[in-house]
Amino acid sequence: MTVLGYAIEQAWVSLRRSGKSAIISIGTIAIAFVTLGGFLLVSVNVQRTLDRWLQAAELSVYLEDEVGDEARASIEAYLRAQPAVLEVEFITKSRALERFHADFPELGDVTESLNGNPFPASFEVRLQTGPAAEAQADDLARGVADREGVADVRYDRRWLARLLAIVTGARVAGGIAAGVLMLGAAFTVAAVVRLSLHARRDELEIMQLVGAPFSYIRGPSIVEGLLLGGIGAAVAFVAVGILFTMVGRWLGPDLAGLIGGEELLFLGVREGAILLLGGLAVGAAAGALASRAVR
Amino acid sequence: MIETQGLGKVYGRGLYALRDLTLTIEKGEFVFLTGPSGAGKSTLLRLLLLQERPSEGDVIVGGRNLARLTRDEVQAYRRTVGFVFQDFKLIATKTVFENVSFALRVLGMPVEQQRRRTYQVLKWVGLQHRLNSIPEELSGGEQQRVAIARALVNEPHLVLADEPTGNLDPDLSLEIMNLFRDINASGTTVVVATHDRELIKWVGRRVLQLDQGRLAAGAEAPQ
Repeated sequence: MTVLGYAIEQAWVSLRRSGKSAIISIGTIAIAFVTLGGFLLVSVNVQRTLDRWLQAAELSVYLEDEVGDEARASIEAYLRAQPAVLEVEFITKSRALERFHADFPELGDVTESLNGNPFPASFEVRLQTGPAAEAQADDLARGVADREGVADVRYDRRWLARLLAIVTGARVAGGIAAGVLMLGAAFTVAAVVRLSLHARRDELEIMQLVGAPFSYIRGPSIVEGLLLGGIGAAVAFVAVGILFTMVGRWLGPDLAGLIGGEELLFLGVREGAILLLGGLAVGAAAGALASRAVR
Repeated sequence: MIETQGLGKVYGRGLYALRDLTLTIEKGEFVFLTGPSGAGKSTLLRLLLLQERPSEGDVIVGGRNLARLTRDEVQAYRRTVGFVFQDFKLIATKTVFENVSFALRVLGMPVEQQRRRTYQVLKWVGLQHRLNSIPEELSGGEQQRVAIARALVNEPHLVLADEPTGNLDPDLSLEIMNLFRDINASGTTVVVATHDRELIKWVGRRVLQLDQGRLAAGAEAPQ
C-alpha cells in the first residue's frame, strides 16, 4: 500500500473514532468559512456594483441658463481636447426634463407645477479609466468649473473613490475577522488530530521503532486535518448557498433595488475555490502542526 | 558490529545512567547484558535503538556513529534493528498476523510480500495456528513469540531484547531463549538484557556485567 493510501485509510479510521470531537471541529471550521463565504458573497456583489458605477461614472458639466452658443462651443471644445475624455454628449434642457419624466414618472406633476423647465443643459462626459486618467480627470473637473457659462460640475468618481476606500477597509476588517476565526478553527482541528494521535500512540511507537518513514508516521495526521478542513469548508459552502437562497427570497427585490436592479450573484468558481482550498489548507496545516508532536 | 567509546548518559542534574562505557560486540555475537536494577542495561539498549541520544561519547553500530544520524537516518537505521521488550508492545486491537505484518506495511512493502514474509516468520516461531488471534487471547510466551516474529520480519542485522523473559515462567523463558539462539545461529547479532543468572548460565554466551552505569570489574564472563 502506498503512503497516501495508508494515510487516507488511517485518517478515515481516526475521524470515525473521533466522533463528536470531529463533528465539533468540522462545525468550527464551517462557522469560520461561512463567515468568509458570506464576506466573499457581499464582496462580490458590492464590487460588481462599484465596477458598474465606476464604468458609468461621468463628469457632468451643468451650464448656466443664459449661456451663449459661443461659450457653450468653447466649453465643448475644451472638453474634447482633454486626454482623459472619452466621449462628450450635450444634453439640452428639454432632454434633461424628458429624462426626469422617464426615470421618475411618479414625480411628473412636480415639474408641471413649476413655471418652466427647472433642469439645466449640460455636457455629460465619459472618461477614460485607469489611474493616470483619474488624475487628469481631477484636473479637468477643476479646470472646467472656472470656465465662463459653467454653473456647476459634478464628478461622480470622487465619491465613488471614497466609497471604494470604505469597501476596501471593510474588506480588510472582514479578512482579519475571517483570519482570526480560521486560526481558532485550526486550533480545534489540531486538538482533534492530537486526540487521534493519542488513540494511536501504541501504533505510533511501533512505527517509530521499526523505522517507518515520517511520511507514514505523520501522513495520517495531515490527511485527517485535510479531511476535517475540507469537509468543514464544503459544509460552509452549502450553508452559504442556503443562506443566499433564503436571503434572496426574503430580501432579494430590496437588495436588487439597492444595487441597481441587478440580480444578486452567488460565489463564482474563484471564490468557491478560495473557500474549499482554504479549508483544505487550514486543515492540513493544523494536522501537520499537531503531528510534529511525534518525533 | 557495536562499539561504544566513553559512552555516557546523564539524566536531570548530573544523574549518570551510563558513565564512560567502552565495549565492543562483534558481528554475529550473542551477548547478555546483566547487572542489578539501575545498572544501565535498558539505557544502553535505548541508546542502541536511538530512543535516546548519548550525553557523552560515541555509539558506533555497523560503522555508523549513531550520535550523528539525522532524523531520517535514524528511521533507516532502525529498519536494520529488531527489538523485543518485556511488555511485548503488541497492538491490542490487531491480530497476530496484523501485528507482525504492520512492521512491513508501514515500510511500504507490497501486500503480497508482506503476507508471505509474515507467514514465514510466524511459522518459524510456531504460531502459524494463531494468525487470527488477538494478543489478549494468547499466553505470555505466545505474545513474546509474536513480538520476536515482529522483530525478525524485517530481517534485521541486530536484535535487541530488554528483559524478554521478565514476564514469563522458567519453561517459557527457556523456549524464548532457544528462539534467540536460533536467530543468532542464522548470523544475526543478538543483545539480550536480563538479570536472570540461571538463564544466562543455561544459554552460556558472553556476558557484559554493568554496575552503576559502568562495566563491572572482571565483567566479561567467558563463552
